[in-house]
Amino acid sequence: MKILVCIKQVGSEGEVNRFDAHALEEALDLKDRFETQLSESVTVDVVTVGPVEAARIIKRAFGMGADTGYHIVAEDPEYVSPFVTATRLASAAKKRPYDLILTGIMSTDMMTGQTGPMLAKIMGLPCATAVIKTNLPTNDNLIEVERELENGFRDCLKIRMPAVLTIQAGINTPRYPRLSKMLAAGQKEIKTFKETDIFPEPIEEREIYIGLALPEKTRSGRVLEGSLPDKAEQLLALLKEKDLI
Amino acid sequence: MKQILVIAEIFAGQIRPITWELVTAARKIKNSPGLKQLSPTIQIIVPADNPALLSEKIAKQTGIDVIGLQIPELKNYTSEIYIYCLEQLIKKIDPSHVLAAHTSQGQDFAPGLALGLNAVAISGVNGIRSDENGLIYSRPVFNNTRNQMLRPASNRPVTLTLMPGTFKPDERKDGEPGRVDIRKIPFAPAVCGKEHIQHCRTVKKIFEDQTLEEAKVIIAAGRGIKEKEELKSILKFAQCFPTAAVGASRPLVDMNWLGYQHQIGITGATVAPKLYIACGISGSSQHLAGIKDAEFVVSINKNPQAPIFRHSDVCIIADIIEFIGTFLKKQEI
Repeated sequence: MKILVCIKQVGSEGEVNRFDAHALEEALDLKDRFETQLSESVTVDVVTVGPVEAARIIKRAFGMGADTGYHIVAEDPEYVSPFVTATRLASAAKKRPYDLILTGIMSTDMMTGQTGPMLAKIMGLPCATAVIKTNLPTNDNLIEVERELENGFRDCLKIRMPAVLTIQAGINTPRYPRLSKMLAAGQKEIKTFKETDIFPEPIEEREIYIGLALPEKTRSGRVLEGSLPDKAEQLLALLKEKDLI
Repeated sequence: MKQILVIAEIFAGQIRPITWELVTAARKIKNSPGLKQLSPTIQIIVPADNPALLSEKIAKQTGIDVIGLQIPELKNYTSEIYIYCLEQLIKKIDPSHVLAAHTSQGQDFAPGLALGLNAVAISGVNGIRSDENGLIYSRPVFNNTRNQMLRPASNRPVTLTLMPGTFKPDERKDGEPGRVDIRKIPFAPAVCGKEHIQHCRTVKKIFEDQTLEEAKVIIAAGRGIKEKEELKSILKFAQCFPTAAVGASRPLVDMNWLGYQHQIGITGATVAPKLYIACGISGSSQHLAGIKDAEFVVSINKNPQAPIFRHSDVCIIADIIEFIGTFLKKQEI
């Protein structure tokens, strides 16, 4: 079985998007379960789209146990349409016949939650979002998963592979990279592609980015001033006044 | 004449209330300066295996015309069935806008549907306004600390998923009900006559107790708590109140520091206490949606930029453990 995990670099420290870390862990865990129970080998590849520095999250993925890393190098402005990202990822996902493509439910920076399901649509694959549990695939290429709904509900689905799953937090605890694997990872080659080589014509952005703003306030937001004891005292007085304590 | 389409949210044969919020947003788009002169019409699509009753109910409630999308194979929601059938229906209508809910269901099918319609796709919309160039949509980014403003780059149809709780449902209309038009589109799986996604069952995690939903005071802990040990501090804080329940934001429950029965937010419990104290909770959209009916919200967080401060009555910028320590001392006096 071949699994591809799409990961993204986020934040000022350039860490792996935490939902993608859960996706990678789930892929590696499926590999462990598969190889133990069915003694069939599984490969876990990772792909990222991002600037040159994003190579470090692929190295980290090697340290966790990923086999091959693809890096589509793209220096992007502040906004990239999820459609553009999904189109780029699809170019890597078509390189090998993957049975499963995993990614996080969303990125913590752009929070669209659209890249996974769009990638599925571009590739003509079925997709389940917010996956909170996976079972081992059966012989007839079906994988049973649970997706998280609201208020404690879950849908149990059987999905025919190849398929795309977007992974929700809470499904697992991502492992730390192992030093031995990190050292070995130094030898591993990251397969790097220039965005412009794959797509000589730029992919059309579907949305225009205007800017950022602070979210609207929904409550008065009175800030208690003073020292720590002052603040504690003010809160205590306020709660007493409202007869809450 | 362009159409604004609303996809009603149906779960387990019931209309989800977010449907009414979608209708409000559709009216807002319809009456926006750029679109008003084109006098677009709104239609609500109700996908179901047997949509007649649900469609009538929605037409009566809103006074808007309804398309009952009859999909005989739709016993339970799957993204595959939704995308296939909605795409066929909507392509023929060629709308200006398609509105769905930013819920587990809308987030599951809307991106694929948008691509199928060759549309602009904007998710998690929490505001709609317009300027001289047309409509501008805002959506949360960077862990909910900022809103990002976007507009469509072209004249393609625009699909939006709307954040629950953003648009207030309009008052119930007493006038004429909308017309109901039932259209049947069977789901025909393309490959080997088999569907790719099979719905097996829906299960519900049982809350071990219902204390959160009924609690008058909730003290809730978030990631400001750095170690499991520090939860003791939260418990002590809770004991200051005659009857307080302890809640938690999702990450603490994901890490198994507290059980699922403590989780507050869309994926856990929706609460409405008299007092809600958020201890080291930054305030994700899904958490905020779960506490919007709380009467009085106090937030304690050392990060002045924490999004929860914009949705609190009282804000205390402090380290949560230090603050609780000081508060306990004051209370003893």
